[in-house]
Amino acid sequence: MKKTREGFRPLNYLILAAITLAILLLCVCVGSVMLPLQDTVAVLWNVITGAGNQEYELAANILLPVRLPRVLCVALVGASLSLCGAAMQGLLKNPLADGTTLGVSSGASLGAVLAIAFGFSLPGFPLGGTMVLAICFAFLSLLLILSLAYKLDSSLSTNTIILIGVIFSMFASSISSLVITFAGDRVKTITFWTMGSLQGSSYENALLLLIALVLFGGILLGHARELNAFAVGEDNARSIGVDVPRVKLTLLISISVLIGVCVSVSGTIGFVGLVTPHMLRSITGPNHRRLLPAALFGGACFLLLSDLLARTLLSPRELPLGVITSFIGSVVFIYIFYKARAH
Amino acid sequence: MKKFMPYVLSLLAALLLMACSGKASSPQEEPAPTGEAAAQPETSGETQASHTESSPTSITVTDMSGREITLTEPATRIVALTASDCEILYALGAGDTLVGRGEYCDWPSQVTEVPSVQSGADTNIEQIIALNPQVLLMSTMAQTQEQIAALENAGIQVVVSDAQDIAGVYEAITLIGTLMGKTQEADALVADMQATFGNIQTEASGDKKTVYFEVSPLEYGLWAGGSDTFMDEIAQMLGLTNIFADIRGWGEISQEQVIERAPDYIVTVTMYFGEGPTPEEEISSREGWENIPAIQKGRILNLQNNELSRPGPRLAEGAQMLFDFVYGQDAA
Repeated sequence: MKKTREGFRPLNYLILAAITLAILLLCVCVGSVMLPLQDTVAVLWNVITGAGNQEYELAANILLPVRLPRVLCVALVGASLSLCGAAMQGLLKNPLADGTTLGVSSGASLGAVLAIAFGFSLPGFPLGGTMVLAICFAFLSLLLILSLAYKLDSSLSTNTIILIGVIFSMFASSISSLVITFAGDRVKTITFWTMGSLQGSSYENALLLLIALVLFGGILLGHARELNAFAVGEDNARSIGVDVPRVKLTLLISISVLIGVCVSVSGTIGFVGLVTPHMLRSITGPNHRRLLPAALFGGACFLLLSDLLARTLLSPRELPLGVITSFIGSVVFIYIFYKARAH
Repeated sequence: MKKFMPYVLSLLAALLLMACSGKASSPQEEPAPTGEAAAQPETSGETQASHTESSPTSITVTDMSGREITLTEPATRIVALTASDCEILYALGAGDTLVGRGEYCDWPSQVTEVPSVQSGADTNIEQIIALNPQVLLMSTMAQTQEQIAALENAGIQVVVSDAQDIAGVYEAITLIGTLMGKTQEADALVADMQATFGNIQTEASGDKKTVYFEVSPLEYGLWAGGSDTFMDEIAQMLGLTNIFADIRGWGEISQEQVIERAPDYIVTVTMYFGEGPTPEEEISSREGWENIPAIQKGRILNLQNNELSRPGPRLAEGAQMLFDFVYGQDAA
C-alpha cells in the first residue's frame, strides 16, 4: 500500500460507497418474502420517476413501507455504532472498547427503560423522551466508567476498563430488571430493549438516525487527526497542541449521542462497534483518517448482512438482530484477546 | 500476560450471559429451600401414609405427568400456580379452597385477593410450604424432581396439570374435579364446553377464510400464534385457516409475511391500557398493511383477557367470541 497520503482518495470512497450500496440493494431485494428482482427494481424505479405502482401492489406494499425503512435504519445504526466503536478504541487506546463492552449501551437502555416506565415523554415528539434519557444515561455511564477506571488504574489499561465496563453493564441491567419488576403492565414494552430489533422501523426513524450521524458522526470524523494523536498517548496529543480536555469531552458527547439515538431506535445491538473496526484495521491500518470512514461504511455493511440473516435464516420467523451480532461479536472478542496475548 | 486468562474467561462468560438474555436469572431452583424442607418431613409424611389405606373417602388420581396421587379426602387447601388451574377451580365452585395462587393468576377478579406466590422459573418452595396446602397444582414447565421431593417431604401433594390441547383441558378439569370431590361439577363443565364447541363446529361454514393471531404487536417485535396452539385448534373448529400454521407454537415473524399472506381476519391479544391508539387502531394504521383484507374490511378482534391462550374453561367463551366475530359480520 502506497503511503502517499493519509486519508482516502475519492476513488476509495467511491468503491466503499458502491459496495455499501450494492449490499443495501441486496438487502432490499432479499427478505422474508422473496420478491422477484425485476419487481423490486420496477417498484424502486417507479418511485424515483414518480410513476404509480399499481401493477406491483404487493411488492410495493412490502418494499416501501416495511423493508426499505428497515434496511435504511439498519445501515445507519450499523454505521453509527461502528464509528463510535472505532473512535472509542482510538480515544482509549483500547482495541476492545465498544458501546457494549464499556456498558454504555446498557446505560442507554436503562435510560430508555426509565423513560418508558415513568412515562417520560416530550410532547409532539413520540420517541423524544426515551431518546433524551437514553443519551443522558449513555453519557453519564461513559463518564462514570472512565472516572472509575481512571481512579483504579490511571494508565487506563485494557483489562481494568473492560472489567469495569462489564460490571457496570451488569449493574445497569440489574436496575433495568428491577424497574421492569415494578413496572407491571408496561413490562412488555420494556423487555424489547434488552434484545435489539429493527422491526417496525419507519422513515422518521431513519431520518433521525441520519441527522444524528451527519452531525455527530461528522464531529467524530473531523477529529481523526486528534484521535491519531490520542492513539499514541495523551501526552503526545498534548505536546502536539491538542486541547485534550475539550477534544475528549467533544468526542465523548458525540459518542454518547450516537449510541443513545441508536439504542432508543433499535434497542441494544451488541458488538457492532467491536467487530467492524477490528476487521477493517487490518485493511486500512491504524490511521483514523482512513479507519473512521472505512468503519462508517463497514459498519453499515456488517449490520445489513447480519439483519439479512436475522430476517431470512428461519423465515417466516425472525431472529432478534442482537442475537446474530452478539454471536459474531463474542467470537471476534475471543480472537482479539487471543491475538493480543500471543504478541 | 498469562495472568489475564482467568479475567478473560470470566469476562467472556459474563458477556455471553448478558448477550444471550436480558433476564440473567437461571431457571434452576435455589438450593436453599430443598435443605430446609428436608429437615421437617417426618410428622406430616407419616400421618398421611397411615390414613390413605383405611379412609373410605380416599381419592386416587393419576395426574398429567403420569404420577399417581392419593388423598385421604377431597382437598380443602390448595395452591395453584398456573392461571388456568385457578380458573378451573373457580369454574367448579371451589375457588374458596385456594390458599395461594401463582403471581400471574388474574381471573376471575376474586382470585387476586388470594395470597400470591412466585411461579414458573421463580417458583419458591418456601412460600408454598408456608401456606400449608394439601395440594399444589402446577404445570410441568418449571419443576424439578428435587422440588417435588421437597414438597412431598413437607406433606404437600404435587399434582401436575399440563393441557396442550382442548382434550387436555377436559382432562385437567376432570382431574381437578376429582381432587376436590366435585366430579359432577367437572363433568357438567366439560359437557358445557363440548356443547359450545360442538355448536360452533356444526354452524361454521367450510369456506376457508384465513386468520392471523397476533400475540405481540409490532412495537415490541411481531409474534404470531402458529400450529399446536389453542388458537390454531379453535380456528380449525371455525373452519378458518391460520396463516402461520407452518410455525409451531408462538414465534417472532416478519411483517412482510403478514402482508403477503393477506389474512381475512386478525385476532390480537394485545392489552389496552387506555392511552394512545387501541390495538385495533394501531394495527389498522400500520404502513403497508392497507391492502390486507382484514384491515380493508375492519375485521380485527381484540381478545385481551387470555381467552384463547390459556388452557382453561374460558376457551369456549373465546371460541364463541371468535365465532360471533367471524360469522356475525358475514350475516351483517
